[in-house]
Amino acid sequence: MKIIVSLSMFKKLIPTLLLLGALLLASGCAINRATALQTPGTDLSKVKVFYVVKSPEDNREVDKLIKDQLGKMGFTATSGPEMPPPYKADAVVIYKDKWMWDITMYMLELTITFKNPTNNFPMARGNSFHTSLTRKSPAEMVEEVLTNIFNSSKQVSTKGGTQ
Amino acid sequence: MNRPTQKYLPCNLSLSLLLFLCAFVALLAGCAASPAKQEGMIPATFETVGKHSKTVSVSVQGGRESKLSDPNQISNEAFTQALVDSITKSQMFSSVIQGKGADYLLTVTLFDLKQPSFGLTYTVKMEAGWTLQRADNGTVVWQESIKSEHTATFSDAFVALTRRRLATEGAVRDNIAKGLAKISQLKL
Repeated sequence: MKIIVSLSMFKKLIPTLLLLGALLLASGCAINRATALQTPGTDLSKVKVFYVVKSPEDNREVDKLIKDQLGKMGFTATSGPEMPPPYKADAVVIYKDKWMWDITMYMLELTITFKNPTNNFPMARGNSFHTSLTRKSPAEMVEEVLTNIFNSSKQVSTKGGTQ
Repeated sequence: MNRPTQKYLPCNLSLSLLLFLCAFVALLAGCAASPAKQEGMIPATFETVGKHSKTVSVSVQGGRESKLSDPNQISNEAFTQALVDSITKSQMFSSVIQGKGADYLLTVTLFDLKQPSFGLTYTVKMEAGWTLQRADNGTVVWQESIKSEHTATFSDAFVALTRRRLATEGAVRDNIAKGLAKISQLKL
């Protein structure tokens, strides 16, 4: 009898539990974040030649996407392994990509950093974060991050939020 | 008379109790985000060579707010306050000026923060770009990338999220200590 009462109570609790679950999920389900910044003293208008350092963990050729996008933007870009500085470029590009599975694999987050080719000092950084519902293709993620970096002024520029 | 929502709620669960539960869940989400705290980022001691008689204003960029889905983050506000308190405590500059009017501008850009997701021992690594400029003409007088790390063990905190927060605060503390030690060596 006790079991029957518990099951009945559980059935009545289902809508409430669903509501509470939805509240928890709502904070993390569809998040957009796109930020970019430059360090003081950085002048990206002087940067014309980039060297994209291929991440050892990258087996999806994100380095090629970055190199191609930089080419589309009118810059000279090459990619290859990490080397001891100084690089023969105006800026070194490093990146970190994070992937997630939801029906298919998608790029959850991409961070691209421009570094000084001689001392590795970070010059600029861009980051985009799109969860499954607002997912973008890797090429679109690269375009978004690079565009935000070049559009960023000396100050932090932030847009996006929870949808 | 039963309200429309009443039939979907368990017999003893009133609408007010449901609202209370919702508020509790929201509160829980905020607690679980567990942001790095400013007081945990201030070094206990400073290894400084010299002190400067000039004034400085401070800004931090590259940090972000903590969320339930993205806990233990370093906010710009907490890092800035920790940096201001550290400069004041170490007497590195004669005073910290809010806004315009300082002799120097110190900008710290948080570029990389590596936080493990699991483990008994949490080692957090971070990299920040430190830039000191003259306020009058913007000349960069010193610029350096500073890497730091801190490990928090099971003995530091039982709860994993707290352990990760302590490791994050320790990494910032180490970064501030190293940065101020470098600035103390400058001849301004």
